[in-house]
Amino acid sequence: MTQDEKGAGYTAADQMVVSAARHIKDTDVLYVGTGLPMLATVLAKNTHAPNCTVVIQNGTVRKSLFALPRGTDTLGTQTMADQLCSLYYINYLGQAGYVNKGFLGAGQIDRYGNVNDTVVGDYYNPVHRWPGSGGANDVMSFCQNTIIILRQSKRRFPEKVDFVTCPGYLDGKPGRREELGLPPNTGPSAVITNLGIYVFEDREMVLKSIHRGVGVTLDQVKAEVGWDIKLASDFGDTQPPTEEELRVLREKVDPQGLWAGGRRALAGPEEDID
Amino acid sequence: MSKVMTMKEAISKFVHSGDTLFLSGAQHGEPSAAIHEIVRQRIDHLTVVACLVTTISFLIGEGLVDRMLTGWYMQNQKVSYPLSKAKAMDKLPVFVEYSHFGLSMALMAGQMGVPFMPTRCHLGSDIPKYNENIKTIACPFTGVNTGVVRAIVPDVGIIHVQRADAEGNAQKWGSLGMDVEGINASKTVIVTTEKIVDSDVIRRDPNRTIIPGFRVSAVVEQPWGAYPMHLGGCYDGDMFGFMMETGRKDGYETYVEKFIYGVSDWNEYLKLRRESKGNDYFEKLKIKNPVMSEPIITGYQEAAK
Repeated sequence: MTQDEKGAGYTAADQMVVSAARHIKDTDVLYVGTGLPMLATVLAKNTHAPNCTVVIQNGTVRKSLFALPRGTDTLGTQTMADQLCSLYYINYLGQAGYVNKGFLGAGQIDRYGNVNDTVVGDYYNPVHRWPGSGGANDVMSFCQNTIIILRQSKRRFPEKVDFVTCPGYLDGKPGRREELGLPPNTGPSAVITNLGIYVFEDREMVLKSIHRGVGVTLDQVKAEVGWDIKLASDFGDTQPPTEEELRVLREKVDPQGLWAGGRRALAGPEEDID
Repeated sequence: MSKVMTMKEAISKFVHSGDTLFLSGAQHGEPSAAIHEIVRQRIDHLTVVACLVTTISFLIGEGLVDRMLTGWYMQNQKVSYPLSKAKAMDKLPVFVEYSHFGLSMALMAGQMGVPFMPTRCHLGSDIPKYNENIKTIACPFTGVNTGVVRAIVPDVGIIHVQRADAEGNAQKWGSLGMDVEGINASKTVIVTTEKIVDSDVIRRDPNRTIIPGFRVSAVVEQPWGAYPMHLGGCYDGDMFGFMMETGRKDGYETYVEKFIYGVSDWNEYLKLRRESKGNDYFEKLKIKNPVMSEPIITGYQEAAK
C-alpha cells in the first residue's frame, strides 16, 4: 500500500484530502457527510471556496467558516449558522433539487458507482457489517453530483457491491436512475482515494489520474480495483498539493492532527475491513 | 394543570413493556437521563425508533430492545460490546433499516395522521428488500415510480429540551434532527427539560415551541439531562470520551453497575460523575462567551387604563 513518499513532503492521505477539496466550487451548495468529506470541505472553505454553502443533515445550513467538527452535529457547526432546522428540511432542499453537490465517505464502491455502507456477504449472516445508510442514501439519491472519498483497496472496489445502500448508476444502462424515479441528472460524479481520482464516463467509473507524486503507479492502482478499469480519455497524473494547501490543512484546518498520518480519528461511515 | 413529576414517576407511569418508543436527539441533546431511568426500571420488549442516539447502547446491551427502527447503528458485533452482550443473552434486536430521511418521513406521516409518505429516497437501493415498511407505488397523477414509507406512530416519545413550562409547552433550539416529527407523531409525550420556566417565558417567544402543552403528558426538570451529548445554549458534550469509557466490556459493565444500577436518579448520577471525573469536569463543558440573539418583538401589551 501507498505510504508517505520520502522527500515528497506530503502523504497519500494529504493528496486525497486536497484533491477532494479542489472538487468544491465557491458557488456550490454542498451536502456534506462526517469525517473525510467534512475535512476536505473545511479545507476548501479555508482556501478557494470560502463562499460555498454547507448543509449538514441534522439541520444546519451555513456559509460562514467553522472549525473541523468531530461529529455530525456539534456546538461549533451550530454556532453562527445561517439556518438551524430539522433533518427533514435539509432533505427537502435536496429532494426538491436545490443542493447541487453531495460529498460522502463509503464502505465500498463498485464499477457503476453504487455504494455499500451496509453489509458484505449475506444480509442476515454478514461477513462484515457497517452501520448503514445514515444520510448517505439521501445524499446520493438527491444531489446533482455526488463525490465519494475513501481509502482504496480491492475489497473496497468490487465490480458489484453485495448491497446497494446508495444508488449510483445501478447496472450502468442509460436512464436507469430516472426509470426508478430518482431525480433526473443526479448521481455520482467523482471518486477520490489515496491512490487516484476517478470520474464516470457513460456511467462507468474510469481512472482519471494517479497520485504519482507519492509514488503511486498504474499497476498498483489496477491491483486495487476489482475489475479491469478503463482509463479516462484525459488520463494523467494528479496535480500535487501546493505548499499553501498543505500549510492550511496542517496549521489551520487540522492543527490537532485528528487526521495526522492518515489515521482516522474522525467519526464517519468508514470503518476498516481490510 | 401541572404535569411536573420526577423522572422515576414519568417513566414508570408512561413507558411500558412492549411499547414503541421514539427517542429524540440525533446527536444534539438526547434524553440520556430518561434512557438511564428506563434501563434502571428494566422496561423491556421495546421497539425503539431513533437516529444517532448514543446512550441507546445501554437499552440494547441490557437486552431491553426487541426491534430497532433506525438509519445508522454500529452493527458490527465484533466491535460493539452492547450487541455482543445482547446476543449472548439471546436479546439481539431486529434492525429495521431506513435512510435517515426515510425514517424521518415515516415519522412525518405519523405526525400528519396519514398512512404513508411519498419520498424519493431508497429508490434503486437494496434497503427496501429488508424493510417491509418501504415500498414503491406509481404516482396516481403521472405514473412515475415513487417511494413510500409507512407511517410510524410511536406509543411514547421522549424529548429533552432547553426549557418548558409546567404544562409541557416545550422549546428546543439548535439543530433539530428528527425531534419535531418524532415527538409530534408520538401518542404520549414525555418532556424532560434543563429548566422549567414560567408560562410567560414561553408565551413571549412562542415560535420556539416545538410541541404544545396539550400534547404532553409529563414534564421532568432535569439539568444536564442530555449529558454526555451537547445541548445548544447550555453545554458541550463529551461523546467521544463517553464512547471510549463505555465502548468495551470492562468499561461498559463498570459504568452500568456504578452509574445506572448503582444510583437512584440523575442527580445522584451527576454527583458520582463529578466525583469520578473531577470537580471542574462539568464546569469545563459549560458554554463560555455565549452568542446572544437579538430580542425581537413578538406581541404588544394592552395600554394601561
